[in-house]
Amino acid sequence: MNFDLTLIWDSVPRMLAGIGITFQLMALSAFLGMILAVILLLMRLSGKWYWSWPAQVFIYVFRGTPILVQIFIIYYGLPQLDFVRESILWPILREPFGCAIVALSLNTGAYVSEILRGGVLGVDRGFLEAASALGLKAHQKFIYITTPIAARLALPAYSNDFISLMKATSLASTITLMDMTGWRRLLRPTRYLFH
Amino acid sequence: MEAVTGWWDDYFWGSMIVVQVFFFSLILMVLFGLIGAAMKLSNSKIAQKIAGGYTVVFRGTPEILVILLLYFGSAITLTAIAQIFNPEIKFLDVPPIWAGTIAIALIVGAYATETFRGAFQGVKPGSIEAARALGMSNLQTFIYIRIPEMWRLALPPFGNHMLSLIKDTALISIIGLNETLFVASQAISTTGKPFTMYLVVGAIYLGFSTIITLSVMGAEKFGERTTVGAR
Repeated sequence: MNFDLTLIWDSVPRMLAGIGITFQLMALSAFLGMILAVILLLMRLSGKWYWSWPAQVFIYVFRGTPILVQIFIIYYGLPQLDFVRESILWPILREPFGCAIVALSLNTGAYVSEILRGGVLGVDRGFLEAASALGLKAHQKFIYITTPIAARLALPAYSNDFISLMKATSLASTITLMDMTGWRRLLRPTRYLFH
Repeated sequence: MEAVTGWWDDYFWGSMIVVQVFFFSLILMVLFGLIGAAMKLSNSKIAQKIAGGYTVVFRGTPEILVILLLYFGSAITLTAIAQIFNPEIKFLDVPPIWAGTIAIALIVGAYATETFRGAFQGVKPGSIEAARALGMSNLQTFIYIRIPEMWRLALPPFGNHMLSLIKDTALISIIGLNETLFVASQAISTTGKPFTMYLVVGAIYLGFSTIITLSVMGAEKFGERTTVGAR
């Protein structure tokens, strides 16, 4: 067995380059995911079934399936559909990096939306009643009362999800790395069937 | 969807492997979690440190890294040992299914450690004092007071751990386990329909997640119904 420490030392610069990509993936998908999470949250809080049902289905699907499967559907699966290849999003979905961003954003958006909802539901009714008594309108109540309190309540759970997101960025390697190493291994059994 | 027709049986057997990995890793996960929690709650400083290191390492590293490290690490080690006895051997590994099962059990076990520790600490001191007043021994207190109170507290996060386990099984396909994702990749290489095939995998996992969520909800209902006395 050759456990080579110099090999580790030699590969440090390349790994540092990888850290840059990890941070890019993390920052971009955390940002896009947060926007998506807020949209989903507003859809669910709207009280209209035609807004809240699609949001609930989205959250259910993205929380109930492995992120690896989501990445594979977006990267390997979507090009099967002609209208995706002809759409303006194709330059993004053609690249592994773009696909990873899309998959991670959709995934983290679903999780964070649930976390934010927990925060909003945790806001004391007394505050909202006090705001109503002061004559605040519904959107004012949401911006000045619910949002600051809910953000504080949701922060601990959000930090956990951020760590999950950081760990999930490592899965982006599967859609580039698989092409080189793993994919050959996966395809070998089927090759035997046809020879 | 007609492209999937010939592949249903393969998907079924792939799903059975997911179920197998899930059950074995569930057992190991509970075991690791209980051992970890016992170490964290013990009086020994060394045991606390070891359990603390375990949770920090396995909660802080990506799942895929642990799986790859465990599989290839054990394979390299085993090969090296085997070559001492027989230089003819080129490659020897732990079967991917077991390397993967142990890896995801270790990862989720680290989360379960924290859950079980919190649940044991959440047992009300009053209940334990009452048990003492009734003259129960330590063992009796543990079985009749601590365990029943603890599992009701641990159940909601434990349900999430089970969901993590079932979703982590998908990662084992990377080290070559022939589960549903692997079946999908085989199907794609002959039919050329990646979207359809991966969508089937997603639907299978969604089904498993739904079953787990409903069972946990049922267990929570049972826990509430069978809670005796004042809360």
